[in-house]
Amino acid sequence: MNSNRMKRITLAINGEEQTLEVHAGDTLLDVLRAASYTSVKYGCGTGDCGACTVLVDGNPVHSCQMRAVDADGHRVFTVEGLAPFPARKMADLHPIQRAFVETGAIQCGYCTPAQMLTAKALLDRNPDPSRAQIEEALSGVLCRCTGYLKIVQAVERAAAVMRGEEVAPFGHIEATLAKDASPADLLGQYYALPGDGRRPRVPLVVSPPEMESLDVVGQSELKVDGVKLAAGAPAFTDDVKMEGMLYGALLTSPHAHARILRIDATKARALQGVHAVLTHEDIPRVKHASGGQSYPQPPPFDQVCLDNKVRHVGDRVAVAAAETPRLAERALRLIDVEYEVLPHVLDAEEARAAGAPVVHDEPDTEGIYNREHNIVHHIEADEGDADEQWSRADVVFERAYCTSQQQQAHIEPHVCITYWDEDGRLVVRSSTQVPFHIRRMLVPLTGLSDRDIRVIKPRIGGGFGNKQEMLLEDLCAHLTIATGRPVRMEYNRQQEFTSSRSRHPTVQRYRIGVTEDMEVVATELDLLGDTGAYGTHGLTVNMVAGQKGLTLYNTPYSSFICDVVYTNKPSPGAFRGYGAMQCFFGLETMMSEIADAMGWDVVEFKRKNWIKKGESLIMAKALGEGREGFEQTIHSNGLEECVRIGVEATDWYAKRGRLNEDSGQQPGASGPVRRGIGMAVAAHGSGIAGLDMGAATLKLNDDGSFNLLIGATDIGTGSDTILAQIAAEELGVPLSDMIVYSSDTDFTPFDKGAYASSTTYISGGAARKAAREVADQIRRHAATMLGVKLQDGEGAADEGVVLGDLRLRDRAVWFPDGRSVTLEQVALSSLHQQEQHQIMATASNMSYDSPPPFGAQFAEVAVDVETGQVTVERVLMVADIGRVINPVTASGQVEGGIAQGLGFAMCEEMVYDEDGHLVNPRLGPYHVYKADEMPEIETIFVQTDEPTGPYGAKSVAELSIDGIAPAIADAIHDATGVWLREVPFTPERVWRALREVD
Amino acid sequence: MKELTWRVSTDASLQAVLDDPACPPLLSQVLASIHSWQIRNETTVGRTLQASRLMRQWVAALVALGAVVTVERDGEAVDTALDEFLRRWVKGTVTTLAIPHQSDGWWGEAHVARTPSDDPIVSAFAVVRASNGVVEDARIVLTGVSADPAWLAPSPPDLLGQALDTGRIQRAASAIENEVQPEGDYLGSEEYRRAMAGVLTRRALEACLAQEVGDE
Repeated sequence: MNSNRMKRITLAINGEEQTLEVHAGDTLLDVLRAASYTSVKYGCGTGDCGACTVLVDGNPVHSCQMRAVDADGHRVFTVEGLAPFPARKMADLHPIQRAFVETGAIQCGYCTPAQMLTAKALLDRNPDPSRAQIEEALSGVLCRCTGYLKIVQAVERAAAVMRGEEVAPFGHIEATLAKDASPADLLGQYYALPGDGRRPRVPLVVSPPEMESLDVVGQSELKVDGVKLAAGAPAFTDDVKMEGMLYGALLTSPHAHARILRIDATKARALQGVHAVLTHEDIPRVKHASGGQSYPQPPPFDQVCLDNKVRHVGDRVAVAAAETPRLAERALRLIDVEYEVLPHVLDAEEARAAGAPVVHDEPDTEGIYNREHNIVHHIEADEGDADEQWSRADVVFERAYCTSQQQQAHIEPHVCITYWDEDGRLVVRSSTQVPFHIRRMLVPLTGLSDRDIRVIKPRIGGGFGNKQEMLLEDLCAHLTIATGRPVRMEYNRQQEFTSSRSRHPTVQRYRIGVTEDMEVVATELDLLGDTGAYGTHGLTVNMVAGQKGLTLYNTPYSSFICDVVYTNKPSPGAFRGYGAMQCFFGLETMMSEIADAMGWDVVEFKRKNWIKKGESLIMAKALGEGREGFEQTIHSNGLEECVRIGVEATDWYAKRGRLNEDSGQQPGASGPVRRGIGMAVAAHGSGIAGLDMGAATLKLNDDGSFNLLIGATDIGTGSDTILAQIAAEELGVPLSDMIVYSSDTDFTPFDKGAYASSTTYISGGAARKAAREVADQIRRHAATMLGVKLQDGEGAADEGVVLGDLRLRDRAVWFPDGRSVTLEQVALSSLHQQEQHQIMATASNMSYDSPPPFGAQFAEVAVDVETGQVTVERVLMVADIGRVINPVTASGQVEGGIAQGLGFAMCEEMVYDEDGHLVNPRLGPYHVYKADEMPEIETIFVQTDEPTGPYGAKSVAELSIDGIAPAIADAIHDATGVWLREVPFTPERVWRALREVD
Repeated sequence: MKELTWRVSTDASLQAVLDDPACPPLLSQVLASIHSWQIRNETTVGRTLQASRLMRQWVAALVALGAVVTVERDGEAVDTALDEFLRRWVKGTVTTLAIPHQSDGWWGEAHVARTPSDDPIVSAFAVVRASNGVVEDARIVLTGVSADPAWLAPSPPDLLGQALDTGRIQRAASAIENEVQPEGDYLGSEEYRRAMAGVLTRRALEACLAQEVGDE
């Protein structure tokens, strides 16, 4: 580093004056993180996301945009200064931090420090801000997890506390509704109908009368990782610095399709401080798939770590490791690459046409269905009697729908640190959703064995599917193998767009036959899925699309035909909704279109046809995930109640088709703004039937607390918390007695990872099984302690006490005669005194069921018919997710899913120029919803008891995104009479649709 | 018409501008609705003039308000209209931004965007100065319809010397729709942007008209 460029600056950081040696080009973010203020996060480097926000002289600024030298002499405030650091318990926290924990405003926690600092700056100026002022203040910090509702509530709560006001405990509202009772009376307590604005801003949990209340499960417990995330503790992958760590950087392709004729890294390698440069000439060519899925991974294996051909702008070319990030980037610029630019294809229809450029012409990729036409998979499946059912149809409708390539846009980028530990084993500390899959996938690529690799997943700053992928781990590992040094690699924000994954764009052609009495008798779905340059997740996403897109209405004849094609675009992968939400857009919009065309009540039409309890999913066996599936029967279905309640809560029939009547009661009756209301229903799944497995280990400690060791991967969803709630319920202890450690391939049992809406159902089942086994061990030991004979189950005259009659509650074992032994006593006895052994158990869980959660989503919109701009004003989701383990965290999943669904529907779209360059690879131009533009969001849960789920639970994470786009499309039609069949509903698309009608 | 001048140092942050009670309401609206608190804190007025493409809403509002910049060079201070300054870069250091504050002027803004807080695809700003209900000056500035970050429309002759009414507004908007030379991109085609130029100009002027009515 040029010493002339070094400067000495003095900053008063959190009240403490510090003199720092900085490079003239260093940002304040660089300097603060180097000085171990790790609460300050990198998110984009362009001032778009706000994760790097700190207070300079009390004002929030982007530390990534401010040069450190410009902060010389100023006061800098970070979250480390909010409360004594590191805070260990709630009482240590500042009121703002406490409020964020209490309200469930923290999901992944990555943007939380920035949100809290912005809140502090606001409350320092204005101790009693309005909701709008809070939303405006927070609008500079993007959150991809929460939907902002709870963050705003946290700031309101903190403000009240700081004003000295008493605040009530934050939680949910519980209500009971008999099966045939009218929801109107129930809702009247919370919703004054027609709406006068008095609506609950916390989740309403509606239960059937027969559902028993539990002590820990069903309670809005605080997240077990809340304190450390609120404190800004160094909990994320990049929050550690290894001794001697090098910085890796990735050279990516500037071309959409090219062959690398020559690559010369001589100059880069000669640069002082550069320790390794690797190209395709340096790494064995091992074919693999990068999607983190169970063994055996679905085909094709069409990737290698570094290739001699690039297939999209942003594709991997080479990597370098150097002493500093700046030096690593400099090394990349010195790599001389000679490309033979090849013709490329960006459109999926063109890609499968004759004569299209062949994306994968290499002979060593096997399993491509039709290489010349770029069709990597061709899927066909049908069930039922086509001739019979089509002959029953009185009317047949055909429509086509298109969905776009949406980016996950988690705020924490992909980041990975690899190093050799003292035993010569490779440790991979990674921001991943699938640590166990990553370990297995690294084996052939590195030449190491499973036993030589340990993968650690720290806290994750959001993933949404994009971290169900091996994107950096293999390259980082190769750099550590080459250098012997720890290496850190991180995508920058542009690489997140061009070199990570996204949502599969689709073209859906539905053909649906209906009878005159509203029965859907036949459905055909012809799907074209664009998998970009590589096939990762291409097979499974599109199979799920077909399965979900054809089973919501479980039509007697269902047919699926699908081509999954390669193009020269960055590969899509896993993303919340996983094909289902794309096809629900088409299916649900089409159902609404049919109802409109036939003059039917859309609610009645859907009600008549949606899948009912006791029915089998028609396509479940034919369309699994990458393989044949398993027969599925619906054991629980609250969709009827969801819709009934949603209809009442939105005042549906008073509004539908009537919002623009000149009644004088509704705004927007004249002028260019038209209002409308729409709805959609959805069903998802809970894990992959017959494939997903999770395990949990529970261990009793001396004081009666428990270590819960789980492979399940909490990526901000709160899964650590709800799994601990399940175990705590079984063991009769409060949640605070559970110490959760998750996702470390050395120390936790296997879990497939966080995807497929599986964690609550699959991993939760494992936690419950392990807890049951430990509970039995505790009972047996307690009986031994008190000399109580237990029935051994042999002989009719067994006179002992039945094991199950010993109850675990209030941290003790209770005997039928009223005596009790505390868990602490049991622990001390079993560990130190009597029949000594460690009370612990490991249990595994998998299921051949994947029970669908159900939901109804309602949207109200305002459409400017002159400009085409659509403003979504309100979204209500009424969801049956089985028993709700934690209403606050579950509603956080709903709110976050709605926000992402809004982006899918309204604005988010990766757009390419004709050369295949992404034109909007920044969070600003791409646009993610901000705090000050969110509609009103409400969540109502309708509890059902799923017999195959832990305590009756199903899943929530993906369901919440599934019906947003079709509900908005339906609302736009209600407002204007036009149907939008392509997302996002940009102003121009709406404007053109309106003009076509005119 | 009573005309004052509101001045701000180019070293001032956008947040300082917003916090100034004398800040013209059109600027306040733009600053509060488009740019985040962080950006307002870290961006000086001077920097916005250097990076006008990134801050085009703010710059367009300034141009509509008839902002003048003071450029110091070799010890001399020269006042230059902002729109001229943006068209041909004037050598020297910009020290001050001044805005004639029209106590009896009207202003309006209209835009279209993908979402309420998104960067507008097309926007229109209108500032109308009138005396006794007769328009003396009308400055209409658009974004998203030209290669320039903020395009100052030629003064609509139909408006000047006349009372503002819906017919004249419509004709002015149509004239501007015909005049603009937008380039299409992923947010809006050339055709769409042209159409929006007309719609939004009309709305911005209608907002002025509404203020006139309010004044009465």
